[in-house]
Amino acid sequence: MHFVLGLLRRCLVVIATALLLTANANAAGGTLRYAAVSEPAPLDVMLTTAGVSLVIGMHIFEALYTIDSHYEPQPMLAEGEKLDDGGKTIVITLRQGVHFHNGKEMTSEDVVASLQRWAKYGVRGKLLFVDGASSEATGKYEVTIKLPEPNGAWKNLLAHLEGGPAIYPSEIASKATDQPIAQADYIGTGPYMFKEWRPNRYIEIVRFDGYDARTNPGDGYSGKRVANFDAIRFFPVPDVGTRVSGIQAGDYDYAETISGDLYDQLSSDTSVKVVKAGAPLFGLFFTNSKAGILKDNYKLRRAIEMAFCREDALRVSFGPQALWNAQGSIFPPGNFWYSTAGTDKYNECDPVGAKALAKEAGYDGTPIRLLTSTNYQTHYDQATVFVKQMAAAGINVQMIVVDWATLLKMRGQPEQWDIFVTHHGGPPDPILLTFLNDGYPGWWTSPEITAAKKEFTSTADLTLRKKVWDHIQELYYEQVPAMKVGDAYSYDIMSPKVDNLVSPLFWPVFFNASFK
Amino acid sequence: MTVAAGALTKSGGIRTWLAPFVARPIALVGLAVLIAVLILAAAAPLLAPYNPDAYDALIRLSPPNALHWFGTDQLGRDTLSRVIYSSRMALLVGVGVVVFALLTGVPIGVFSALFPRLGHVLMRIVDVLMAFPSLLLALVLIVILGPSVANSIIAIGAGFLTTTTRIVYGLTLRLKTETYVEASRSMGSRTGWLVHKHILPNLISPLLVQASFVFAFAQLSAASLDFLGLGAPPDIPSWGNMLAESRNFITRAPWLLFFPGMMIVLTAFALNLVGDALRDRLDPRFREMLGRKI
Amino acid sequence: MWSYVFKRAGATALTLVAASVIIFAFIHLIPGDPIYIRLGDMATPDQVDAVRHSLGLDRPILIQYLSWVSDALHGDLGQSIFYQMPIMSVIADHAETSLLLASITMTWVLLIGVPIGMISAMRHGTWLDQVLSGAAMLMASVPTFWVGLYMILIFAAWLGWLPSSGYPSIFDDGGLANLRYLLLPSLTLAAPNAALILRLTRASMLDVSREDYVRTARAKGIRPWQVVTRHIFRNALLAVVSAFGFTFAALLSEAVVTETVFALPGIGRLVVQSIMQRDYPVIQGVVLVIVVLYLLVNLIVDLSYRMLDPRVELQ
Repeated sequence: MHFVLGLLRRCLVVIATALLLTANANAAGGTLRYAAVSEPAPLDVMLTTAGVSLVIGMHIFEALYTIDSHYEPQPMLAEGEKLDDGGKTIVITLRQGVHFHNGKEMTSEDVVASLQRWAKYGVRGKLLFVDGASSEATGKYEVTIKLPEPNGAWKNLLAHLEGGPAIYPSEIASKATDQPIAQADYIGTGPYMFKEWRPNRYIEIVRFDGYDARTNPGDGYSGKRVANFDAIRFFPVPDVGTRVSGIQAGDYDYAETISGDLYDQLSSDTSVKVVKAGAPLFGLFFTNSKAGILKDNYKLRRAIEMAFCREDALRVSFGPQALWNAQGSIFPPGNFWYSTAGTDKYNECDPVGAKALAKEAGYDGTPIRLLTSTNYQTHYDQATVFVKQMAAAGINVQMIVVDWATLLKMRGQPEQWDIFVTHHGGPPDPILLTFLNDGYPGWWTSPEITAAKKEFTSTADLTLRKKVWDHIQELYYEQVPAMKVGDAYSYDIMSPKVDNLVSPLFWPVFFNASFK
Repeated sequence: MTVAAGALTKSGGIRTWLAPFVARPIALVGLAVLIAVLILAAAAPLLAPYNPDAYDALIRLSPPNALHWFGTDQLGRDTLSRVIYSSRMALLVGVGVVVFALLTGVPIGVFSALFPRLGHVLMRIVDVLMAFPSLLLALVLIVILGPSVANSIIAIGAGFLTTTTRIVYGLTLRLKTETYVEASRSMGSRTGWLVHKHILPNLISPLLVQASFVFAFAQLSAASLDFLGLGAPPDIPSWGNMLAESRNFITRAPWLLFFPGMMIVLTAFALNLVGDALRDRLDPRFREMLGRKI
Repeated sequence: MWSYVFKRAGATALTLVAASVIIFAFIHLIPGDPIYIRLGDMATPDQVDAVRHSLGLDRPILIQYLSWVSDALHGDLGQSIFYQMPIMSVIADHAETSLLLASITMTWVLLIGVPIGMISAMRHGTWLDQVLSGAAMLMASVPTFWVGLYMILIFAAWLGWLPSSGYPSIFDDGGLANLRYLLLPSLTLAAPNAALILRLTRASMLDVSREDYVRTARAKGIRPWQVVTRHIFRNALLAVVSAFGFTFAALLSEAVVTETVFALPGIGRLVVQSIMQRDYPVIQGVVLVIVVLYLLVNLIVDLSYRMLDPRVELQ
């Protein structure tokens, strides 16, 4: 009965709106149609690190800072800041005249409520708001953050929207808990506002006419943001073949995450344009520091690292060489944090040496359990190659293949696995790296890394921080908390109709872009 | 309701079984295809030109050529060799599902028909399970049990358990009321003897028909599960897994999907042909119980 | 008659209760957890535990079951953990796609299956019958997703005749023209189901033509096509109609693979996606609705069979 009623009601609503909207259908900006890999998690970006949510969230929500095309943090909702007390006190002035989608002006009250919610429940909140840290409104357009120790990464942490400090209206932020905010509360300051979520059909965001853009020119995600499209619709299209055909057939304007093997073909296809990601993603094989055969056995870990040939793993999972780079620095060349420390141990590809080292480590052929999932074809392909290479070095790796939801649960149980496979993107600051988070599965804790991390965050001096980072990367190759497979550049495709696209830094964004 | 006793006589010699194929020559084609698949599976190491797991990243996604007749996949593995080795998985899953369905369905069905009091309860439970669409049941079971060959067999088999039980139940009820069975019963023979002597032998031919359809449908169900990433572990070559892995490359390498897909079609088609021919030889009143909703 | 109706309805209700227990128990046996997916890959297990607690997912299973059932009896299937919407409205939205897809598919099935089945039966035993039956067998043996992928490649990507994927509601912009999105998926789904109906039509017509009253009619000298239309087809239709009901009900969930390939917002895809995300309340709700639907079809077919067919005695 509910179906029928629901359908009837919807039918009436649609007829009514159709009567009201008549001529306005073909206005200037048009609707951009985006083919996403899946449905997003709830769009409450403070609480999720899931990719599709961020792509959409980037248009609705803004933070105090954001990054420019060189991955440097620049003010967004903030106007400027002043550091005091050796970096322990941060006074941030806000821009005036910024409005939320509900018409309310943004003031320090909203910022503080948002930061407090983020501090308490945000995925990344604890990285900045450690015990004893606080934020308070010290003026209508001024917020003061007090930290017990200086944090050199503070600006990057406030700029990264992934599980990060988006600014919500205070009445929404202060009542929000660890549960995602309701759809009706998807209210931010961004150039687009949330319109509706039709499950498995699309999510629609529409231009926010009251948007108050910055005046400095757009650079990366920073500066002036202009919403040229009337609306953007995000369609979940799980099959990559269908996403490609959909662009070719003109059903979508932009399709994300296309398989590497189509790269050469699509690059020469004039009916599509290839959009390469600005920053690489990298596969990570995490090792278990809490339980099992690899716990504290650094020698055996190094043996595994030694036998792991990256070119093969990258070629089978990403295809043409243009899309990957077998290099061992956690951050890619050109990035401020790029470092060669310890990387001589990366990609040694030496099964004979590995065999000897494993023997020295007391390895007796006990199966090493590798946890992976087929939900990501690249993970699975890399794991397949990895197992073969280990076998060549006499290391017996057994694959446990489960679906992604099971993997996420199993990896939290230390006795279930020895290695698990995932992939991440390089964050704006090393402190956001998952293997440095000792609560993240893998649980890398050793006296050396704990001391190094403390040293790393306690200073704001960039030269000093870079030096400590070199040391951390060296430790990483010594204790092998994870094995980086290599840099891989994912790519998207779009219709040639789309113009002026901002090069995607972490996620594609469509402010400033338009149709030709 | 009586059935002509002639149609219920026990299965005879080889000639009885060959008769359907003589009557329907196209069924012979089906039989030939099945034998071919059997040979592929048995002699896979001899027939496959390459090791099906050997990868070569440098020759990924090559189109069919002199060295690799069916081309190579995204890891550079030889598609022909994988197609050949996959026939093993097809037979294993098919036989496994049939055996699972028979081993569970026959005892439950016969028992329920012979002992109506408890049987009625059992059949109600079967009815409840019937209310779940079989693919949905398989999906939930496989996620609970985790992906492995044995678990896919159980998950797919569970859907056929109910239909097989229903069929056996119905057949046994009918056989029970047949006059000659009634007669032997009144003479005081024991239930075990009744089952052994009168019921099981008469179940053989209808169950053989059912088995061939279950075998065919199991191929399609297994392929669907593989396609959704919930079938046999992906490191084991199977036609469904091959399809699931190559579908991402359909615009780049459309031929990759062609060969494993064709093998599924051919095998299921052959099984259907054989099952159909066998069914035509069955008593019409049995016939209508089979192959409607599997 | 009425006592039979009550008896069957009662049995259906009991089955439903048993099914609800099975659904709930099964779904909570699935390993994994919705919270991990919702928080994303970079959340830590501690954060997940906290959220699970505030969602009440750490309460005893029996308590969770009872609260689900009591809400369901009030017509409330709860909220989706992902969509944060009432599950009833999520299901209603997906039901539109599934009902339309099933209806269009069944139209093809009838247009193809019944006439060809009739021809096959009337030409029983000839080469035409053999060829048609063989073709039906072949159609029933093809995996739908395999055909679907090639259909998209040929008709959408290469020829550009039809949309590749998705389905905007007929209540949205585009109106009834949006039905073209369902053309490829419905044809894909129609093939194997048409084959089943074709074979069923053929078999029932053959069965009926052996009945005494048909022989009598023939003996009376009624013209052959009249025998077919008036006597054989009308009686054979009974079996076809009941199969039709079940096929329709089955299509709602069995279309899952096709819905995945064509990215359609249908019931089947909702189930698979909810299983993958462990959105427990949605899986429970959808499966419950599917089961209710199946039982209803079962009941209706059963009752109408008994009312329409004089040969079936009432127990």
